[in-house]
Amino acid sequence: MAVVIAALGLLFLFGLRRGSPDRIITSNMLGQPVPAIELPVHSNLLTQYGSTFSLPADAAGRPVIINFWAEWCEPCRVEAPLLQDIWEAYGDEVLVLGVQTLDRGRQAAGRSFINEFGLTFPNVFDGDSRSGRAYGLFGVPETFFVNADGTLHEKHAGILTAELLERAVGALLN
Amino acid sequence: MFYLVLVALVAGFSLAQSEGGTTIERRVFEIAGKLRCPICVSESVAASSSQIAITMREEIQEQLEAGLSESQILAGFQASYGDWVLLEPPRRGVHLLVWLLPVAAGAAGLVLLIGFMRRWTRAAAEVPAASEAELERVREALDGDVDSE
Repeated sequence: MAVVIAALGLLFLFGLRRGSPDRIITSNMLGQPVPAIELPVHSNLLTQYGSTFSLPADAAGRPVIINFWAEWCEPCRVEAPLLQDIWEAYGDEVLVLGVQTLDRGRQAAGRSFINEFGLTFPNVFDGDSRSGRAYGLFGVPETFFVNADGTLHEKHAGILTAELLERAVGALLN
Repeated sequence: MFYLVLVALVAGFSLAQSEGGTTIERRVFEIAGKLRCPICVSESVAASSSQIAITMREEIQEQLEAGLSESQILAGFQASYGDWVLLEPPRRGVHLLVWLLPVAAGAAGLVLLIGFMRRWTRAAAEVPAASEAELERVREALDGDVDSE
């Protein structure tokens, strides 16, 4: 009887684990080449980056920090200035790419978000969320740290901190 | 006659088109029903109205139209999300436990039940025989009850 109860308990725990994406912060793509991105640049950044931004082409051999965000997402508002700081400090060595996703039809709100935080790194609009889907997004914010060779080094689900970003950038550059 | 043939051809073509459309939509929802919506709680991609679920259904439709099989389409989503995205766990590795444990638990329960039933029936069959003196006491007690009534 004890064996049966233990087995059912194990099954119950397994079921709980399977249904909790918020606890899965790794990615199935770790160490694998990340999906290519080709998305329209937000109109307030056209002069710097042109109309379309593409990965891996526009990374020009640099590691990339890809940050998926949405205008309605409060944690995204907290981490936007941190990403801008990283871009200003390491822009020559590490590309920061913002991707507005899960935000169909809200490109104008995305432009306001970029202006509000004075973001100067490239930001693109994933209108139908296909890039987010291709990266295996569970929500926003999610950040993917991509090696210079285009393979996924690390994924972070949830809000970023300055310490986490510094550590991740250090790992990408080593 | 020409017009009759023309009408028949147009009707046949329309019917084929509508049946094709219905079939592909049904296949989209069948496959979407096997996928877990990544941003929802306990909802399939077929049932969810979230933006990412809509995108996934559109992708399934495009891939079906491009001639991909169900297993190829599911594998594509697994590449992004891992086995987590499948509502029905794959029958391999640690996921085998999900399939085998209920069967094992059921079998163990059945064995226990049979064991208990055998013990009960054996216990009932093994009632010790009463001695002649005990039977006599019972007879006297019964006679006494009858007399007192």
